[in-house]
Order: sequence, then C-alpha cells, then structure tokens
Amino acid sequence: MTASPDGTDGGVDSVLDARGLVVRFKTRRGTVEAVGGIDLTIAPTEVLGLVGESGCGKSTTGRAIAQLVRPTEGSVRLDGVELAGLRGTELRRARARMPIVFQDPRGSMNPRRRVVDVVAEPLRVRGVPVAERRAAAEVMLEEVGIDLGAVRRYPHEFSGGQAQRVAIARALVSSPRVVICDEPVSALDVSIQAQIVNLLVRLREQRGLAMLFISHDLSVVQLLSDRVAVMYLGKICEIGPARAVFERSAHHYTHTLVSSVPVADPRLRRPQTRMVRGEMPSPLNPPSGCRFRTRCPAATSICANENPQFSVVGDDHVVACHHPRGSGA
Amino acid sequence: MSGKPPRVHADASDESLLDVRNLTTWFNSAAGPVRAVTEVSLDVRPGEFFALVGESGSGKSALARSLLRLHPPRMLARHTGEVRFEGRDLESLDESAMQEVRGRRIGLVLQDPTSALNPVLTIETQIGLVLRRHTTLGRRERRARIVEALDGVGIPDAARRMGDYPGQLSGGMRQRVVIAAALICDPVLLIADEPTTALDVTIQASILQLIDDLRRQLRLGVLFITHDLGVVAEHADRVAVMYAGRIVERGTVEGVFANPVMPYTRALLDSVPQRALAAGHRHLASIPGRPPGLTGPEATACAFLPRCPDAIGVCAHRRPVLTEVIDGREAACHLAFAEREPNAS
Repeated sequence: MTASPDGTDGGVDSVLDARGLVVRFKTRRGTVEAVGGIDLTIAPTEVLGLVGESGCGKSTTGRAIAQLVRPTEGSVRLDGVELAGLRGTELRRARARMPIVFQDPRGSMNPRRRVVDVVAEPLRVRGVPVAERRAAAEVMLEEVGIDLGAVRRYPHEFSGGQAQRVAIARALVSSPRVVICDEPVSALDVSIQAQIVNLLVRLREQRGLAMLFISHDLSVVQLLSDRVAVMYLGKICEIGPARAVFERSAHHYTHTLVSSVPVADPRLRRPQTRMVRGEMPSPLNPPSGCRFRTRCPAATSICANENPQFSVVGDDHVVACHHPRGSGA
Repeated sequence: MSGKPPRVHADASDESLLDVRNLTTWFNSAAGPVRAVTEVSLDVRPGEFFALVGESGSGKSALARSLLRLHPPRMLARHTGEVRFEGRDLESLDESAMQEVRGRRIGLVLQDPTSALNPVLTIETQIGLVLRRHTTLGRRERRARIVEALDGVGIPDAARRMGDYPGQLSGGMRQRVVIAAALICDPVLLIADEPTTALDVTIQASILQLIDDLRRQLRLGVLFITHDLGVVAEHADRVAVMYAGRIVERGTVEGVFANPVMPYTRALLDSVPQRALAAGHRHLASIPGRPPGLTGPEATACAFLPRCPDAIGVCAHRRPVLTEVIDGREAACHLAFAEREPNAS
C-alpha cells in the first residue's frame, strides 16, 4: 500500500508545501545530491520536526525551503505561492514571510547595528517607516524577554541565550505564519536551552505559529513538534506524529537513532547500547535502492534493487521501508 | 529486557588512581584573577567512570587541564593543591617525567580535536609518534596497532584512512582519531573533556561502549567531563556537579539523580528535555539569571544564592562547605542541614 509521502493530501490547507525537492552541489570530486527528492508539508499552526545526523541534508533542506540555497528541482509553495521563480524584491519579501533562525544567532546579525534595528530589519524590507518599525521591534523584543534598557546595545554585548532571543524576535517581528528553526538551541547550556525551548513553546501557542524545527536533539524535537520527519542521506525515511515516530519507530534507521540516545535516568540503564554498523556512505555515491540498506539489520536483495515507497503504518504515520519494524515482513 | 545495568563498579577498597586535594587554579586577567577552580578535591578509582558536570564557565575544563599542568605558568595567578596519580605527586615531576605520564599512563582528550592534531602529519605518523615514544614496537606492529585503534573508534577503512591528513577528515572523524590516540598505549586513566559532544549519537554510543569495554577489561578509570546528563546517567558510577569553580554536590549517579540535595543540581536535572517528556509535561524548568562572574573577591555568601529558589537566611552570610549529608553523598548547601537538623545553624 502506498501513500502520499507525508500522509497528507498534497497541501491544500498547508502554509508550506515542498514537493520533489532536490538540491545538488557540484564539488571537485563530483556531484553531491544533498537533498534527494523530498516532500514536506506543514499545516497552519503545526510544528514539523526534521531530525537526522550530520550530513543527512536536514540543514540544506531548511535552506532550500527558505530559498537561501536555490533548489535544483522541485517546488516550494508558501501560502500557495510558488517561490521557485521569484527574484529580487519579491524574493526578499517572500523570505521575510518565512524567516529562519540559526544555531549561531550573531552570525546572521550586522555587528554594527543596535539590536532594535537588527530586529526591525525585516520591516524595512516591507517599507515600514522607521519610527513605526522601531516601535514594533521594541514590542517584539519585550515579548521574547529582552529588557527595554538593552535594545540599544549591539549584538556582541549579548550572551548566547540572549542573542538567540534577539534572533527569534527578528524572525517574528513581521508576524510570519511559519518560521524555520535550524538547530536553534544546540549551542546553549542546558539551563539556557530550557529557557529558549520554553520561549518557543509559548510563542507557538500564543501566535499560532507554524515551524519547521530542524535539530539533531530528539528530545527537544519531541517536546516541540506535532509531527516528525526523519532524514537519512538526503531522503526522508519516516514521517508521523512525534510520539509514534519515537516510540513505535517503523524504520530501522529511526530505531537505531532513538536507541542511541542515552537515557537520562540511571534506573533505566540498558544492558548494552544498540550499535549501528558502519558509517554513513558518501553522498557522492549513495547506495542503490534504500539508502540505509548497507547498515540495516533487516536488508534483503529487494532493498538494493528497488527504492522503497512510503507505506502507512499508523495514523498519519508513514515509512519508506521494504521491511518495516513491527510488520513481521 | 534483562534490566540489569552494566555496572563496572569500582571496588571501594581500591586505592585511588587519581587523588586530587584542594586544587585551586586561578588565571591572570586584566580584571584581576579569574577563579576558575577553587579548592576542588576528588578521586577516581580503577575501572570507575567518574563524571564531572556543569555548565559553561563552571570550571570543569580548566580543572581537566590543570590536573595535567597544561596551562603555561604565566597564565596562572594561583595554583595550589595536590594531584596524586598512582600514588605519585604529579606536581613534583619534571616536564619529561610528566610527558611520560601524559599519553602513556593517562590518556587525554580535550574538547577541540583540531588543536590536538598536527595538520602537516598524517594520522599514521602522529599516532605512530606516540607509540614510538612510549613503546618498543617495530614499524609493522605499530601499523597494526594503529589500524586496530582506529577500527575501535569506528573509523571505516582504517588502513587507508590512516594515510590522510587531519584536514581531509570531518570534525567527528578527527575527534575519533584523538580518542584512538589517547587510548593507544592502554592508559590506566582517561581524562576526557566533552569528547563526544560534537559527535552524532550513533557514533557517541559506539565510543562510550568502547570505553566501557576498556573499563571492564583493563580497569581503565575515567574522568569524564560533560554537560550531557544522559551520558552521565547511562555510564557513570559517581558524579560531581561544579558551579562557579567549586564542587557543589557529589555522590553515586543513582543517588544524585533520584534525590538531588543542592537546588542547582535539581534545576539542572529538571531542565533536561528528556526528563520533562518522561514526566509528561512540556515545560522545562529553567534557572533564572546567569552564573556569577569569577573575577574579584569570592563572596562570603553561597555562589548560587542569587538564583536559588529555596535560599534561607544563612545562605547570604556563610558560604556552604562540601559536607557529607548522608551515605556518601556530599553537598555544599545549607538546606541539607537546615532540613535535617533545624538548630544546626
């Protein structure tokens, strides 16, 4: 049985809809397919988590959706409007409606501008007068927990956690319906990380914000996301409700990933951690068929010969695997 | 599921491998001495996994470096205390004796793998240098040993990859090379500062498994510095929590996780997303404010006072001393005694 790759009807009600997204880079050693043809749909007010390990293509996917990297193939629709052909002012406006929050907040801020102007920048693109946009930026900074006394300071005067609050304020100042977060809490200490995660949870509830939340931290993703997509070597291998994906993983890769995370409770100490075989193959030369087959405990000959199609394994839960876990196949 | 945890319990009767008494390491800075590590005592036993946790700036990395005297003397404003390793006082060793200890008896993995590797030497050459200095192995035996070590940390196609230069490897791969080099002479103690933080979880799992195997087979003692409480819960025997340069709580992992005494330890545990998920809520406990600066004179109050939700009168007047609270658990917190002996202070 096959299904639409993300278990939806193709994004009629979506804020964000990516179809057949492919990103290829030319390198000296050949062409790398960082994103190998994926579909993602985000409904209004929905948070979709995107997880995977280094090199799986999750960040490139985020950047391609935001049009910071132009997709080689495929379509990205924001509120039904195709972004692929946009240029110049139109493109900048579309990006302001789908801002992106990075792991290193200061890297994307002009160090010579006061944070109130950093936050007001997306409104400048929209032609909002200076007094108005500063006022809006101050309101937004206050909402994310920055003291009004600090808004005239420069980015380098802020700690990592505070700078991330500023980046979130800038992302939200133009009231976007969807925000892309790329590892926004990965560089922070746990207690500061908790503050930022709580802030994101509050903002999404208060503002009905949709998000693409990209992270390698499965617990943070589960905490924030409604649905989760798991990526391996440029392809999505499983999508479904966050709990189902983590607690009833159907793809062998998802299962490996979930069981590699140490459990923060000594009473639940496991006899031995499950180990995955080998290393992620080079994206220059991905395996035929299922890309995880070279490391998969359940692989058979069909896995080398045929691309696995998505099949339904639960409510809104699909997997691209010839022998999904729990199916007896 | 058998449920039997893979304990490699250190025998309490064992002599300590590493015994640190009252170590203080302060650095020079334009604003006066930085109190990075103050009066820290700890011990690591053979086969034991001892975890040292804390946030950025708590002094945990400075502690690792100062144990092995890696700070240039001109940086140090104050350096006192005793570090005994296998019964010898490391402070009394000259530099060449110290080098013999480092690398051979003690394996060291620091946070930044790039600075630990020489960019113009191949992996084989640099690990080979370690073996040449500390063993009498011939070239072929050294090669075999290196391939085995790289295999052990999950580097695929090790025989070919060892001809690479560090720049040809990814960050995660370089970190694994550093770990392989630290373990290649079969040290009795491994000091590792966030060795797996930059690695993917699947790789982290295999490296921690390797370390656990060495603890079992060779009674390797481990001083593991991390902020990842999941790794601590899954692998450590004992844990010490650092705050503002001092150890504020120490005990068995089971004890500290089940019943933290110090409010900072409790807040740290409550801010772990996984524990919130397990408890069924979406809100994470966070700690208001920020850690104190470490320049200027040390306050007479508890360093955690401005952020502590449970502070009582005495906390502002006297700095709590690390004291045994119950059954081998130590905490530097007035609350521990206020609750048990209301008249103590």
